Amino acid sequence: MTRVEADPILNQPQIYDPYDYALHDDPYPVYRRLRDEFPLYYNRKHDFYAVSRYADCMAVLRNFRTFINGRSTTLEKEIIPGSLPFILSMDPPDHTRLRHLMVDQFRPHNVAPLESVVRETAQKLLAPHAGTGRIDIIADFAAKLPMAIICALMGVRPEDEDMLRGWTDDIVHREDGSNEIAEVNITGTRSLLGYFEEMIQARLARGEAGEDIVGQLIAFERQGKLNHAEVLGYLYLLAIAGNETTTKLIGNVTYQLWENRHARDRLVADPALAAAAVEETLRIDGPTQMQGRETSEPFELYGHTIPAGSKVAVILTSGNRDERHYEDPESFKIDRGSRDHLGFGGGLHSCLGAALARLEGRVALEEMLKLMPDWDIDLANTRRMHSAYVRGYTHLPLIFTPRSAA
Amino acid sequence: MSDVAFTYIQPDGEEKQVEAMEGMTLMEAALFNGIDGIQGLCGGICSCATCHVALDQALYDRLEAPSEGEAEMIAMLADHGPTSRLGCQVSINEALRGARIRVLGTEA
Repeated sequence: MTRVEADPILNQPQIYDPYDYALHDDPYPVYRRLRDEFPLYYNRKHDFYAVSRYADCMAVLRNFRTFINGRSTTLEKEIIPGSLPFILSMDPPDHTRLRHLMVDQFRPHNVAPLESVVRETAQKLLAPHAGTGRIDIIADFAAKLPMAIICALMGVRPEDEDMLRGWTDDIVHREDGSNEIAEVNITGTRSLLGYFEEMIQARLARGEAGEDIVGQLIAFERQGKLNHAEVLGYLYLLAIAGNETTTKLIGNVTYQLWENRHARDRLVADPALAAAAVEETLRIDGPTQMQGRETSEPFELYGHTIPAGSKVAVILTSGNRDERHYEDPESFKIDRGSRDHLGFGGGLHSCLGAALARLEGRVALEEMLKLMPDWDIDLANTRRMHSAYVRGYTHLPLIFTPRSAA
Repeated sequence: MSDVAFTYIQPDGEEKQVEAMEGMTLMEAALFNGIDGIQGLCGGICSCATCHVALDQALYDRLEAPSEGEAEMIAMLADHGPTSRLGCQVSINEALRGARIRVLGTEA
């Protein structure tokens, strides 16, 4: 008897393929089926397991001895050639050492002073569109705001922001249905790392490390707390993480509040609810849909043994919509107040930049409510990003009542 | 860095002695050792208050006082007390040797 006949999990219908572009429009019915029928799922084509219930997602995220990040949090067997170690591709104790170096700057208290610069940047980006009644809220705004902030924190020249964003987009790109590393992933990685190397060398040549994140990382390397590859790996991660997901978060907030007009009406009347609206979007339609782990040892779940060395997909947004954990989970409720959602992951690898993302999301929404409170979406002209991990728009055109210039 | 041995008292009263690396936090060491009642949802950026612990007064006094941000988070917890701390903000060092850390198991 072959293994396939022996183990029913290997004969499950293949309903979840995160690389399939067709899934990206609306993955949520598939997630619901996974939770109800296949709480431990196995994908034969790409050879990975998946968990989708809240309790299982949480158990995997917390159990970092069995479910390690290993070389990456992707489900791919290979990593992009030329990439360097960063905290998402590490486990304790190295992960602990690196994360502790930067964690202080990302605490809510230390991020809060950035509010004024985030707001000024948001206002500057939105203002030219206020009188036209049209804006592509991703291309014209949400793609630019987080990149401008993270570039400012890293000391990247503003005129280089678009170039860096191009490279980070290339790095996360995957072809339809494929989990193979593509040429653009490699060239994007090489360009981004090369840019940071040049930046560091230029500062060293000038004899000024600087006061920003790059300057701090240079100082950590001098103190022997980081090696050079780790410095570059940190900058690589911050550039990607500081860009992609917050952009998609702002777009998803825009969509959710359009679909749930009653919630937007309440926000217009009471903008103090903006943070709650962002939080509920993180739960019900967060940009990071899924993250991968790898088993360091066999693990028993639902009567099946996941072998050591297996890839496991943790479907965060499915956990966030689990009826076993939340009441009426597929409804957008601005007052829900869930603080335990998995929108930023959970456990040791939970998003380092969560406080910054919350701040940017809230301020972006507050400024949009001031200028275009009645936005409508030109649905026919929206475009989605295609990623196994991140859900959101690349183009989200809005139409609204123009404001006459003050 | 050396290991420091101390004890967690879990919400159900069961005690668990652990050895943890200096420089880790009380939240991380709890996850490392499967301690009940510590979720560490935000990964240690002082944002979720799911690693709420109570210390002995003597130990509390020996450690650096909580930062303003941590104090604000603690003040929002219904079951906080005079020696409450967030585990993710307490670094493990020699002062913790032999300590008894009460886990409050506050829900998110």
